[in-house]
Amino acid sequence: MIDYSALTEFLLILAGGVIAGIIGSLTGLGGGSVLVPLLTLFYGVPIEYATGASLISTIATSAGSASTYTKKGIANIKIGVGLEVATTLGAIIGALTFEIVVTHNLQYILYLLFGVVILTSILPTVKRGKYEYPEEKPLDFTSRVFQLSGKYYDEKSKKEVRYTGVRWWLGEIIMFFAGLLSGLLGIGSGALKVLGMDWAMNLPMKVTTTTSNFMIGITAATGSSIYWYAGYIQFFLASATAIGVLVGSRIGSAVLLKISNKEIRWIFFTVLSFLGVDMIFKGITLSKIYNIPPIDGFGISVTFSIILVILLFIKLSIAEGKYGNLR
Amino acid sequence: METSDKLTSVVSAILKYAIILSIACIVIGTGLMFINGNANGIPISQLANYENPKSPSYNSSSFSPVLIPQSIAHFDALGFISLGLWVLIFTPVTVLFSSLVDYMYTRNRLYTILTFIVLFNLFAAIVIVPHFVSN
Repeated sequence: MIDYSALTEFLLILAGGVIAGIIGSLTGLGGGSVLVPLLTLFYGVPIEYATGASLISTIATSAGSASTYTKKGIANIKIGVGLEVATTLGAIIGALTFEIVVTHNLQYILYLLFGVVILTSILPTVKRGKYEYPEEKPLDFTSRVFQLSGKYYDEKSKKEVRYTGVRWWLGEIIMFFAGLLSGLLGIGSGALKVLGMDWAMNLPMKVTTTTSNFMIGITAATGSSIYWYAGYIQFFLASATAIGVLVGSRIGSAVLLKISNKEIRWIFFTVLSFLGVDMIFKGITLSKIYNIPPIDGFGISVTFSIILVILLFIKLSIAEGKYGNLR
Repeated sequence: METSDKLTSVVSAILKYAIILSIACIVIGTGLMFINGNANGIPISQLANYENPKSPSYNSSSFSPVLIPQSIAHFDALGFISLGLWVLIFTPVTVLFSSLVDYMYTRNRLYTILTFIVLFNLFAAIVIVPHFVSN
């Protein structure tokens, strides 16, 4: 006899995973950044389990998309593996810090940090994709020693793109913090990884995003095993979200290719900023610094996120008008 | 020195088939869980109760990966779900092993060492660090 109540619950979580996967894919921030707030704020899932389920889902989505990008030769496996030295170390320290935070009942720190990370990730993620190739920078000794050269065939411009990265050491430092956040918050930290390879190492945007995607799986796997033994993987949740987020991210990628008006993504950025602000409010309430009633928090979060996204949209539109030739 | 084409296709294939295997195991396990109404003897109503993270019976801390073969032999849902989740966790390990072999084969000493360090970090996260984690 099938337990229909449990089945309904499973399907609801799976649907949440699909939504997280779609929004994560459309915004480019990844399913985990949406899944954790969704599960904690709307499903009443403790952040311990939400983070565990998110890490597992992150590996699934990373493996799914990285398989395509590596086959096309866009993701640079060598650069990715080299940077994973710092990321995996960061993930171990992040997962252990998570354990300390949880055992000391300091979960509010995770909510606050999560909110801040989402909100600060929006701007670099929006700006991503506005330009394809970085300005040429003089090569340094790490370019040669760490073999930071590569090439890929760009289908859009129908030409082979050759590139060489710089400042490997700076990339490693940023990657350490990306790993730390991944282990601590159960996310892929794609925004920070992209920053490390794009801004610090001066790699082309396509190489950066696809290599970051490849790396996310390795980083998340490092944190996941520690989460497993600590008991933060809840089977019912993790199985529903792994399937849901994977399906959602596939739908999101397909939709992104088909929509002609990319401005529609701003709706999803509004949702994302709402989740970020609401996570901060929940963190403030849990910390007992100030008690924000849920209904007030909801209203303020909606208003704040709409204003924030409108301001961002105007700021970027002005910047694009002024520097239109960069597009 | 750029990444070899052989490594690229091997890594792509590992990622593709690992995700198929993993999701298949999770789907089979979930199906069994609903058909049998339980997993590892735990009723589904309790498995679906995720509101208390302190409850040790229903999360990963109480199900060691060592139990997976035995659990699968008994056609138990938790064995399949756990196998699916561990396939996901081990996918990057397999990818890194392939990279290590490729770098050793092409005598790329620096990247052999770097890949070895990453593998060591993953090994530490899977085998050593959990001993220091409470629960």
